[in-house]
Amino acid sequence: MSKEISRRTFIKGMTAAGVVLATGSYLTWNGNNVPKKVKTGEVTYDVLIIGSGGAGMRAALAAAEDKNLKVAVMTKLVPTRSASTMAQGGMNGVTGVTDPEDSVESHMFDTTKGGDYLCDQDAVEYFAERAGKNIYEMDFMGYPYNRQADGCFHQRKMGGSSHPRASYFEDRAGHAMVHALFEQCLKNDIDFISECQMLEISMDGDKLNGVIAMDMRSGNLLGVAAKTVIIATGGYGRVYWIRTSNPYSSTGDGIVAGMNIGIPFKDPEMVQFHPTGLSANGVLLSESSRAEGALLINKNGERFMGKYAPEKKELATRDIVARGIATEILEGRGIGEGIHAGVYLDFRHISPELIHERLGQVYDLSLRFAGVDITKEMVPVSPTCHYSMGGLEMADFHTGASRVPGVFVAGECSCVSIHGANRLGANSLSEVLVFGHAAGDGAAAYAKEHKYEGNQEKLANDCAAWKEKFEEVTNRPRSAGKTVPEIRDAMVNTMWYKAGVYREEKLLQEAAQELTALEKEYEHCYVGDNSHVYNTAFEQYVELGNLLQVSHSIVQGAIARKESRGGHARRDFPQRDDKNFLKHTLIFKRDGEYQTEYKDVVITKYQPQERKY
Amino acid sequence: MDVTLKIHRFVEGRKWVQGYSVPVSVGMTVLESLIFVKEKLDPTLSFTCSCRSSICGACAVRVNGNAELSCEILVEDLLKRYETDTLTIEPLGNFRVIRDLIVDWDPKYDRLKKIKPAIEPKPEFTAETGCKQSPEEFNKFKKYAGCILCGSCVSECNKNTLNEKDFLDPFVFVKAERLVADSRNRSPREHLQAVQDAGLWRCFNCQECTAKCPKGLDPAGAIEKLKEATFKMGLSQGVGGNHAKAIYDDISDSGMLDESKLNIKSEGFIMAGLRLPMALRLLNVGKMNPLESHPINPEIQTIKAIVKAAEKEDE
Repeated sequence: MSKEISRRTFIKGMTAAGVVLATGSYLTWNGNNVPKKVKTGEVTYDVLIIGSGGAGMRAALAAAEDKNLKVAVMTKLVPTRSASTMAQGGMNGVTGVTDPEDSVESHMFDTTKGGDYLCDQDAVEYFAERAGKNIYEMDFMGYPYNRQADGCFHQRKMGGSSHPRASYFEDRAGHAMVHALFEQCLKNDIDFISECQMLEISMDGDKLNGVIAMDMRSGNLLGVAAKTVIIATGGYGRVYWIRTSNPYSSTGDGIVAGMNIGIPFKDPEMVQFHPTGLSANGVLLSESSRAEGALLINKNGERFMGKYAPEKKELATRDIVARGIATEILEGRGIGEGIHAGVYLDFRHISPELIHERLGQVYDLSLRFAGVDITKEMVPVSPTCHYSMGGLEMADFHTGASRVPGVFVAGECSCVSIHGANRLGANSLSEVLVFGHAAGDGAAAYAKEHKYEGNQEKLANDCAAWKEKFEEVTNRPRSAGKTVPEIRDAMVNTMWYKAGVYREEKLLQEAAQELTALEKEYEHCYVGDNSHVYNTAFEQYVELGNLLQVSHSIVQGAIARKESRGGHARRDFPQRDDKNFLKHTLIFKRDGEYQTEYKDVVITKYQPQERKY
Repeated sequence: MDVTLKIHRFVEGRKWVQGYSVPVSVGMTVLESLIFVKEKLDPTLSFTCSCRSSICGACAVRVNGNAELSCEILVEDLLKRYETDTLTIEPLGNFRVIRDLIVDWDPKYDRLKKIKPAIEPKPEFTAETGCKQSPEEFNKFKKYAGCILCGSCVSECNKNTLNEKDFLDPFVFVKAERLVADSRNRSPREHLQAVQDAGLWRCFNCQECTAKCPKGLDPAGAIEKLKEATFKMGLSQGVGGNHAKAIYDDISDSGMLDESKLNIKSEGFIMAGLRLPMALRLLNVGKMNPLESHPINPEIQTIKAIVKAAEKEDE
């Protein structure tokens, strides 16, 4: 016998069900930053790329050319927030459209000389041959190049290049590249695993299981199974924190994950310092300042660059000018104190019209961040860490493969090495295209030839271990120890003063000891937020751990290299020493110990000469 | 001097406003003041940032009701602008909030996908030889290529606040115009059809997006350009397009709007029939008289000349 349901009962029932469903969906809602198949663990990616900068997205597009492959890009932010967007100058590549005299030979020689002969010349040749092709390809993908009268993209000459060979979009070459690549990724429906902090690459012996990451939105630990992983996480400029032009996200996450599975950190000591960062916050004042005639002046009002580069003065290369400024500060002729110490950059003799026309951005940045109107006053500048030439060793530059099977590297986090001891302007964007492409193809080919041999159980266990660690770390009481920013600031002081623009044995040894002490303090530091939803305090804790390991490697590499070459300047060994150090440093992390080994530089065409400009 | 930051907090379903006092230094940006709070006062405050040189778009927030890139706007300047010692900081409007000042970008990417956000180069171009484009053609879209996807434009978009389902975000229109105006593209048609279908003509024209864009890209201007382009392609069917066409016809024919026919031309007879009460009110106050023949503006020759000049300018 059926009981009739009255209209009122029906409405009540439906309302109750609605409330339950709505509450349920609210509580379980985590957004779509992570594809559902990743959350449920039912996908094994053929190619999983960590990092959504130029290298990461270029690799994704290359790998996804085969529609049968499952490809995803994981990023700790959302795409288009990467360091690549900040590149200003352009991307080098020989096309001859602006200067028909340009040649692959010339690009190769400029790069090798610029890198103070620490470049592997076979890799440089591979790079120079392909850089031009990638510029045409980006045109076809929609890169908004500035044009010349014949309809081709225009190329301009950058520091250290013998010919105009950098194509660009205004003074935002990197931004345009990242957005053009992102458009293509959207078009090709590439999976993005956004807002996931990569924590570890999980291995079972020598078999790759996948990647452990924290979904920032839910706090869930994800074990993403993958046949191949491409590490494209960018550089590590943040070891100098405020004294870098890099974004907050350049914390070397991928380098540490790579080192922990046995990939060596190649030439970590090779860090490029740009001479003119604002003393206030490290933001870059473009190289064009000096090109337009701005002068460097010390505390006593002297134009000092003549002492360090008698001919070129302010127009000498980045490393020479940065060292000039650092010397003035060290010898007491700088202005300001501590980490903000610097010298003056003087534009007052340049007409305000010219400043507004050609140096608009420099004018804006100085006014905004230093409160200085450069047409009337001098602005304090000091060197700022700009680029990391070192990185995870790329074992095969044709495929981007590292020495661990299934793991590939690309971009600033890798060391190919084409930049050697010092990178030329506009070579970094072309690098991410050429080797992002190579790594994407390489990983795709590997994935097609191999089955997934990882251990899903181990992957799950590694996830659980991180879950436990998260709970332990985030629930520490205030009395547990120093805060994350306190330890970071101490690390930065160590790195800037003892392993910065200038290095010397005694200070480097002190730095190594201080870092060891900081690593101890890090083990019981205070995080202060135990929420599972977007816990940026925990993220910063993870990043600091990575920065400490990177710092340790930089110092170890700097101690071992008893010479001065490119970005690495030892006061106690001021000369280049080709007899003993024309070789790459490899730092391995084995059982918690940092070990140094060496690898020969590949020399094919150009024998080392003295580097003069 | 100290500034009081009143920050709208949202953590795991709990919502509150929390005040923090931060010492202001020369050149201190809003982002630096937030970092000060996180590092010195309260590690639980959450926000995103990356480049701190206004190019990555990660740090946009609402300060005193207006979207700003927190890395480029100075605390001092805002205190002067608003003549206050307190700043209210909220997450961007018209986004789902995930936590504190962090908002959800996923639905926005889905909306970007709607307009087919990549070029299909003309058949004469190849990936090996690139494309050709004159500097003049490049100038037509270069402004719109400067979008950094910060979301400032949509934060105060009145149309999105009213109903986001039948419209797009201003930056999506900027992306569409960047592609439509790019001469390398085979045809602008599919982007135009997509924006037309997604509510192009529903823009309120309030100009909030243009006022808020930290890069000065003028999204409202992009929307106008797209409207023009849909006209030229003959894609502008629908109320918005018909309305614009009716006004254009009236002005070029008589120099004056014919209110009694405008609505019929825009919406058609059936929909216009529903407007009868309004028509009666207009009749009542003497704004419309269907019995009278439509007057012609005495300056009609001048007006025709202006229309012609404007059209010529457009070509």
